[in-house]
Amino acid sequence: MIEFAEPSRLRAVRPVSLAVLALPAVFLGYLSGFPGGAGFVLMVAAVAAAGVLRASRIPHRAAYAPVPVLIGLLLEAVAAPVGFGTEVVVGLAGVAFLVWLADDPARPAGGAVRGLSGVALPALALGIAWSSALFLPSGVVPLGVAGALLALAIAAVAFLVGRPSLLDRGEARS
Amino acid sequence: MNPPEPASGLRWRPLTPLLLAAGAALLLAAVVLRNPVPLFLGLPLLLAPVAAGVAGPRGPPHAALTLTAEGSGPEVRLEGTVRAPPGVDARDLVVEVDRPPGLLGDPRPRFEWSRSSVKFRASWSAPNPLITELVPPPVVWRDPLGLVERRVSTSADPLVITRYPPELLRIGAVRLERTTPLPGETRSRRVGESGEFHGIRVARPDDPPRQINWRASARAGYRLANEYDLEKTGDILVLLDARPTQLGSATDERLFAIARAAALGLSDAFLAVKARVGLGVFGEFLEAVPLSTGRTQRIRIETTLKRAHLAAVAPPPERCAVAVRRAFPYGLTTVVFSTLADDSLTDLSPYLRRRGYPVMVLSPSPLPLLSEGSTLTGEDEKLAERIARLARRNRVARAWEEAPTIDWTDYWSLGQFVDFVRRPRVRRAG
Repeated sequence: MIEFAEPSRLRAVRPVSLAVLALPAVFLGYLSGFPGGAGFVLMVAAVAAAGVLRASRIPHRAAYAPVPVLIGLLLEAVAAPVGFGTEVVVGLAGVAFLVWLADDPARPAGGAVRGLSGVALPALALGIAWSSALFLPSGVVPLGVAGALLALAIAAVAFLVGRPSLLDRGEARS
Repeated sequence: MNPPEPASGLRWRPLTPLLLAAGAALLLAAVVLRNPVPLFLGLPLLLAPVAAGVAGPRGPPHAALTLTAEGSGPEVRLEGTVRAPPGVDARDLVVEVDRPPGLLGDPRPRFEWSRSSVKFRASWSAPNPLITELVPPPVVWRDPLGLVERRVSTSADPLVITRYPPELLRIGAVRLERTTPLPGETRSRRVGESGEFHGIRVARPDDPPRQINWRASARAGYRLANEYDLEKTGDILVLLDARPTQLGSATDERLFAIARAAALGLSDAFLAVKARVGLGVFGEFLEAVPLSTGRTQRIRIETTLKRAHLAAVAPPPERCAVAVRRAFPYGLTTVVFSTLADDSLTDLSPYLRRRGYPVMVLSPSPLPLLSEGSTLTGEDEKLAERIARLARRNRVARAWEEAPTIDWTDYWSLGQFVDFVRRPRVRRAG
């Protein structure tokens, strides 16, 4: 006989991953260029809204949980001042967002650990990008080159999105 | 023809376009504002879907799915297990189980995941006897971030859930009339429902006390029952009246579902004792399953009953009698399932009798269903129920003039019908 345990409400919120998201995100809000601590308040509200939506038992409501955090991070990152510290915090917030996504309460526990391979590649790329920005001389021309390279990267990603079967090793059955 | 199998290739989930759009917007903002900070957020968002796709299984995986339905009477307990294919963590599998139509209870089962398998369990209840089918639930591999997914193929067959009154299991002991001679047959010295002694087996809960071998049970310490070589190779025709009535389509559908379940139970009981069973579903025309016995016949009958549906129009009963005469031999004992809700001119039994079929009518009463939907209260409700009951009794009494008719009011009990069928004297009088 299989015994099934009822998940608790606290488990539904997944407080550890929420804290992992909240720390860099709220710190980014503190560092951002919004006047009067508005950035801080915005990020706190966004993280709180995401937590509440995720704790909802209604599946279609829980599916919208990433939206407020994504919007908050987007606004904060655009308004953030230039600086190596800010760049690290923004990058960490992005990676923390992915970790939080992996720890979905609607799925079995341990998603953040299982999803490590999906988070590791963006984190590695982020590390390389940040160290390049830190150690290489910057200026207008390198920014243009970086922009062009990123545009190419987006085109490649869009190509992959249009043809997901390219990621298949074998021939997909139809 | 089987429906086309959904594609098992990699699919992006709705969150992926959102992340890519946010990443592209951040890239654009970085270039326009000449500020590299948004790039550091855009980079993880752009790379995460590709990384998720690469990290998962690179081909269509195949999982082993097992489904079992247990329980008796109205209770249906579903248990299932999905064993993950090698290289896939079962905790990344999503199993979408839908409650089959006609059952009540938890819409979603409870899951338990481990590294190698997903187990799920649901408790449902059948408000009335039914035949329903649980299609194998679709299994999907989904990356932990919820960005990509891939359909996992399974090889399980649909699970047919049948619930009918348990008394029907006893009815197979009735001696039926034969319509075909068996060459070289010799009758048992012992007449009645048992036949020659064959052996001893573990007793079932529905075994009558007379069948229990008390001496052997005392020696063994648990109940044992005698088993007999049943010589009954009699034939029976189960005929369902699938014509619409004045009760309305919703009530008709529910009564027809109950009749289908009982017809399957009746067929099971007679097939279990090697009797030949035929099935007819009379809607606009007669759909017939010719007389036969064995497991294959059981599958034929179950398949026909599963897909049987009410007709849109009510043809004359004579058409049924003519069609039955073409499909089944003369003299076949016939059990007709009919609600008897319409005028007696539409009854099938007189037409079948005139063609030489001894008929017995089992009539699921619409009164319990009608009282469920009644908006009356207090004295009015009691009065309406009394009038409906009197009208029903009158209707059944008139049907009795043509053939023995059992009014089936408690859908989970057919004791009255079984007792009636098992009394040979009364049965012959019909």
